[in-house]
Amino acid sequence: MKKLAIIGDPEFNLGFRLAGVRDIFDVVSDEELVQTVEKVLESEDIGVAVIKHEFLKKLPLALKRAVDESVEPTFVAVGAEGGAEEIREKIRKAIGVDLWK
Amino acid sequence: MDVQPTRMELIKLRRRIAMAKKGHALLKMKRDGLIMEFRTILEDAKRVIDEMVQRYREAQEKLALAMAADGVVAVKSIALSVDKEPSFTLKRKNIMGVVVPVIKREVVRKSVAERNYGVIGTTARIDEAVEAYEALIDAILEVAEIETTLKRLIEEIERTKRRVNALEFRVIPSMEDAARYITFKLEEMDRENIIRLKKIKGKKEKAEA
Repeated sequence: MKKLAIIGDPEFNLGFRLAGVRDIFDVVSDEELVQTVEKVLESEDIGVAVIKHEFLKKLPLALKRAVDESVEPTFVAVGAEGGAEEIREKIRKAIGVDLWK
Repeated sequence: MDVQPTRMELIKLRRRIAMAKKGHALLKMKRDGLIMEFRTILEDAKRVIDEMVQRYREAQEKLALAMAADGVVAVKSIALSVDKEPSFTLKRKNIMGVVVPVIKREVVRKSVAERNYGVIGTTARIDEAVEAYEALIDAILEVAEIETTLKRLIEEIERTKRRVNALEFRVIPSMEDAARYITFKLEEMDRENIIRLKKIKGKKEKAEA
């Protein structure tokens, strides 16, 4: 059984607390963000990590790549637009055609 | 070009060219297969991500409403009392050498009675917010699986494509060049040898006469 983790600011996290998620990391500063993401990456029992989309964009490049490549835990960006924009860019780069929409 | 112009080297090169061509054909097939897989998932991904974004908006709205109407403190205290975690299991699946997660969702949604807070002390707005967030988590788990699969596939497609191109435009042509160089060199050496033999023969005849 794997757990769900949430990384976001307190406001973002409150809703997930309501839904019963327990592994919630309130992040306020950028350094805290990096530390938290590293901790989640290394964690054994977290299966899916939800991260606020704006926070994902703020991560340093190396860490962002590690987040992108990790299967366990799998990171999901949640926010007003989701991770759609990044995927679109990746598709364009890999296939050469914008297949998104 | 730094190859020894020998027959052995030529035989070795020819073998390597044949193998590289076989590998190239296989990789090309892999690439096409991956792209096909990718296209079927892409449609799902679009739908699922859009859905998640929409649910996120709804959930935020409902939460904001609950906070505004019932007060932040009330919402926070209720959040503390909910203790049923959403649960799921994570497995790995292999699509043509790409490891992707498979997420089995179990009851993420709970009935009102299962939530550990009193129905009397709270309002319907909070119930709604909780429900919206449960729906959001459901959607997130779906996205987690599909989005990661999609990303993994894209990476693999890119890598395979690069290898196909490298073989097609660099490795195979350069080996073919080397093979051609060796054949020419060997022919040249053959001709030199014939001339040499003829000269020796001429000298011998002169000496005998």
